[in-house]
Amino acid sequence: MLVALVGIAALSIFFVFVGSGLDFAYIIPRRLTKLAAMIVGGIAVGLSSIVFQTIAGNRILTPAVMGYEAVYLLLQALLVLILGTSSLMVLGDYGNFLASILMMVAYSLVIHHWLFKGPQLDAGQPLLVGLVLTMVIGTFTQFVQLRISPGEFAIFQGFSLISFDRVEPVQLLWSTGFVAVVCLAGSRSLAVLDLMALGRDQALSLGVDYQRHVRLLLGLIAVLVAVSTSLIGPTAFMGIFVANLAYACARSERHRVTLPLGCLIAIGMFLVAQLSVEHVFNYRTTVGILINLACGAWFLALTLRFRDIA
Amino acid sequence: MIKVTALAKSYGNRPILSDVRAEFSSGHLTSLIGPNGAGKSTLLMLIARLLAPTSGIITIDGTDIASLAVGDYAKRVATLRQRPDCNMRLSVEELVTFGRFPHSRGRLTAEDRGAVNEAIAFLSLEPLRNALIDEISGGQRQMAFLAMTIAQETQCLLLDEPLNNLDMKHAVQIMQALRTLCDELGRTVIAVIHDINFAANYSDHIVAMKDGAVHAAGSVSEVVTESGLGELYGLDLEIVERQQGCLCNYFTQKGKTR
Repeated sequence: MLVALVGIAALSIFFVFVGSGLDFAYIIPRRLTKLAAMIVGGIAVGLSSIVFQTIAGNRILTPAVMGYEAVYLLLQALLVLILGTSSLMVLGDYGNFLASILMMVAYSLVIHHWLFKGPQLDAGQPLLVGLVLTMVIGTFTQFVQLRISPGEFAIFQGFSLISFDRVEPVQLLWSTGFVAVVCLAGSRSLAVLDLMALGRDQALSLGVDYQRHVRLLLGLIAVLVAVSTSLIGPTAFMGIFVANLAYACARSERHRVTLPLGCLIAIGMFLVAQLSVEHVFNYRTTVGILINLACGAWFLALTLRFRDIA
Repeated sequence: MIKVTALAKSYGNRPILSDVRAEFSSGHLTSLIGPNGAGKSTLLMLIARLLAPTSGIITIDGTDIASLAVGDYAKRVATLRQRPDCNMRLSVEELVTFGRFPHSRGRLTAEDRGAVNEAIAFLSLEPLRNALIDEISGGQRQMAFLAMTIAQETQCLLLDEPLNNLDMKHAVQIMQALRTLCDELGRTVIAVIHDINFAANYSDHIVAMKDGAVHAAGSVSEVVTESGLGELYGLDLEIVERQQGCLCNYFTQKGKTR
């Protein structure tokens, strides 16, 4: 944990100051904004993935795999289709943001209804449901894309790639506020999460109001996913990578260890990817491509040895 | 005392339990026995509130269990499920500490630590205190989970096949521990037990179930009879009384011996 913290701090300093010419008027504030976006986004991705995995009792499910981000993209595509290029103006900075949060919470209800009620599904089924949902919603999005003009498409594409460049200070402030509120609300569930990892029955007999907590946590996850996708874009398989790396690195599986570690790993990944884009690849690739390449490969490896972990 | 009245549970049109009536007296060890699919585990899960009954009432000391809050119920009744699946990297001590959750809600007091230490000592798990539960044997893990349930310090313990997949020594250890819980600490234990010999030699009462209903209930000597068990399981069996206890021999069947 300490090592991760020091590593992140070193990377951050490197990111903010190297090649900045110590320009405090523009470059450094701009970079600090990006850094803050990475931190807030990293926290949102780390928390939402690990908590979702605990609730689902499954280590290859994350909100992204279950179609949360696909829903976000569909919403954006629809907004662009209905409101045109003016959608950015009409909804403003946080109109869109609030709409995303509402959409995510609504989608959470669907997921809750399908996956967490009724008989327990075996480990593979939710994964299948999630991937199919992602695909179906993705197809809808493509369908909508065909109906919009190239200018509108350019706006839409801005939403569908990970990027720290489009972060606006106002949106950042809102996101930070939401993440802080979620952390505060969730901190009371920290002890409960460890018990929930034992499964519904054991948690219930230890006095955890399981259904109520699942609902609460899914709601909080929805807010986190809305924050991270609208702030930095869809993270796809990154959550799985972050969560599993956190389990592997932590000596304990208590959530008070894995959650902060997962957040640090996510922030670290963003920093490394951004630095590589800037200094190694010289902007010839994007953060999204790098992260998806690394995490997609990891997801494939995990799926192949699915039997061992499920 | 736990009292079950006119309890029924069905999935869709398929009844699992119908009109179950039973009483489980305080401070005693009651075994639920019967063939597979008789509804023993379902009955236990209904008492544990892990399943909701289709109809009927379960009371604990006169209070309807459905009226108690989840957190309060966990202070009165602890449940250990069959094959607790847990792939978490937890030490035995951490697991046992989970048993204190109903009391501490995650903030441990000196009293909680005392209860954890007692539970660990009670099952002689001291050498395994810091071992990880995914690295110890199945029997040891079962003991660790039982210790968690004991640390919960509830009046009543519900155990679903606590002897499943255990070797003889661990099985005897667990049954002796359950006996001590009843005799010295006055706890009520209800356990689903498949091994009729363990049930007969360690229980105070036996509730025998068949086809989703109570087939027979009473003290061991009332239920464990050649005719009664023969009817329950559909087997010929012979009960041999020895000084150390009784032994049900059902391994060979009349006319079909080697």
